[in-house]
Amino acid sequence: MKWLDALVQGVLLGGLYAQYALGMALMFGVMRIVNIAHGDLVILLALLGITLVGVLGVSPLVAPFLLVPMGVIIGWALQRGVLNRVVKADPLPSLVATFGLSIALQNLMLQIWSADTRSLSLGALSSMSIELGPLYVGVLPLGVFAFAVALTACLHLALRYTKFGRALRAAAADGEAATLSGVDAKGVYALATAIAVGILGAAAFCQATRTTVAPADGGAQLIYAFEAVIIGGMGHISGAFLGAMIVGIAQVVGSRADPGWGILSGHIVFLLVLALRPQGLMSRT
Amino acid sequence: MRAILKVRNLCAAYGDFQALFNVEFEIAAGEVVALIGANGAGKSTLLKAVTGLISPSAGEIAFAGESTSRTPAHALVRKGLAMVPEGRRLFRGMTVEDNLRVCLDRSRTDVEQALRWTIPRIHELFPVLKERRRELVERLSGGQQQMVAVGRALLAQPRLLLCDEISLGLAPKVVKEIYQKLPEIRAGGTSIVIVEQDVSLAKSSSDRLYCLLEGRVTLSGPSCEIGLEAISRAYFGAHS
Ligand SMILES: Nc1ncnc2c1ncn2[C@@H]1O[C@H](COP(=O)(O)OP(=O)(O)OP(=O)(O)O)[C@@H](O)[C@H]1O
Ligand SMILES: [Mg+2]
Repeated sequence: MKWLDALVQGVLLGGLYAQYALGMALMFGVMRIVNIAHGDLVILLALLGITLVGVLGVSPLVAPFLLVPMGVIIGWALQRGVLNRVVKADPLPSLVATFGLSIALQNLMLQIWSADTRSLSLGALSSMSIELGPLYVGVLPLGVFAFAVALTACLHLALRYTKFGRALRAAAADGEAATLSGVDAKGVYALATAIAVGILGAAAFCQATRTTVAPADGGAQLIYAFEAVIIGGMGHISGAFLGAMIVGIAQVVGSRADPGWGILSGHIVFLLVLALRPQGLMSRT
Repeated sequence: MRAILKVRNLCAAYGDFQALFNVEFEIAAGEVVALIGANGAGKSTLLKAVTGLISPSAGEIAFAGESTSRTPAHALVRKGLAMVPEGRRLFRGMTVEDNLRVCLDRSRTDVEQALRWTIPRIHELFPVLKERRRELVERLSGGQQQMVAVGRALLAQPRLLLCDEISLGLAPKVVKEIYQKLPEIRAGGTSIVIVEQDVSLAKSSSDRLYCLLEGRVTLSGPSCEIGLEAISRAYFGAHS
């Protein structure tokens, strides 16, 4: 029973990681941009959410409805203002740009919020759980997981069957040829990043209600997203979801075996995949 | 006759290297024009400047009577300027059908219903694409891929179709099959520019012909009136 419970908790944790990983996979898949500032954006949005809830005096449950639109706007502006200038065949300029952005964001957040840890309290809701057979499952993690599943399905279907999805895939395959087919590639890139950072708005809410956040926490979030994306296959949407589940399960199962092993066992699974199937589990090649 | 494309005094450069010098180039509505020249003469550069993929260093380009300098490349496509790029440049990882639909999704709307290119019409033009519509484009043979590239450009409902070396690397039979479709494409009122290495094919399939040499137009005129000797001089330069 201990292990079944660990498995379920791991899947639920994976739901949170999936929200980080989906945006990263989308940006990498469409623009070959590895966004080093991904984790810092989660923290920025989380801190903004905590502050806004305090200042406006609204229920914390309102936060995601503020954070997702803010993420969309931040993502769009980031792509239009900075990243569209560095989308090239060569990945180095975008790495340097997002690395610089990550450092700038961390310092900015330290200035504004200092190094204290903060969180969003949902009161009774955060400890509420339901009985599923022999297991008790938290309502909140279950909601996070359900949201991640729905998001993955929507993104997958949108990419496959909509006009926007076709334009996105075309721009990802060959930006110049997409332009020659009437696709505004830079506009498509801006929308992709807007979606990616918009998802981080939801992730930020989940992060802030689940644990505490502080300005320097971005790095760890980046690593989990990165591991999930690599495990699934760079740029692959359902792969990112699968990768997030694997990282989540590895962490929880590891920590049940020995409380010190949680994070480490996630990294070990990542290294194993990197060694045995470097192109990722879901990649076609 | 009304000109669909007018290029005046066009110069273009890649960094310090000037690839086009004062090029004058004009296409009348409904005309098929061949553009020939040796490797590196600047043919693709001219087409890229026309479609807005590169910005010229001097000169003017007018498409359908309007200067193109302020219109981004993707918007020009929606005004009816389509190109089959050199090397096909299909969207790998996408099916034949999706490759075609990308262009159809955002094509010019002010086209008469009867003249509109649709996916069924592309299937009539190249029946093999119907059979293989659900396959990934990279699984197709070179000739079939070229048909997808032509079909994709046609779905933009072009007034002017620019074809950059569609015969490159294809078997003669396939080249013939694709070139046989040009009259049908033209019948809908579309003007066509073909860049072609095979000079006699270029000559026989066009109304007029331009020859580029090291970035300059060295010859232009009606294809049927130009002799092979004049072409050879314009193609290789006066010294050979
Ligand atoms: N991206 C580029 N950067 C630098 N120089 C370039 C670039 N593209 C083309 N050139 C140069 O510009 C000149 C004209 O090239 P262009 O591709 O227009 O020739 P082309 O007539 O299409 O030749 P081909 O028959 O080989 O396709 C060549 O000397 C080429 O080396
Ligand atoms: Mg060329």
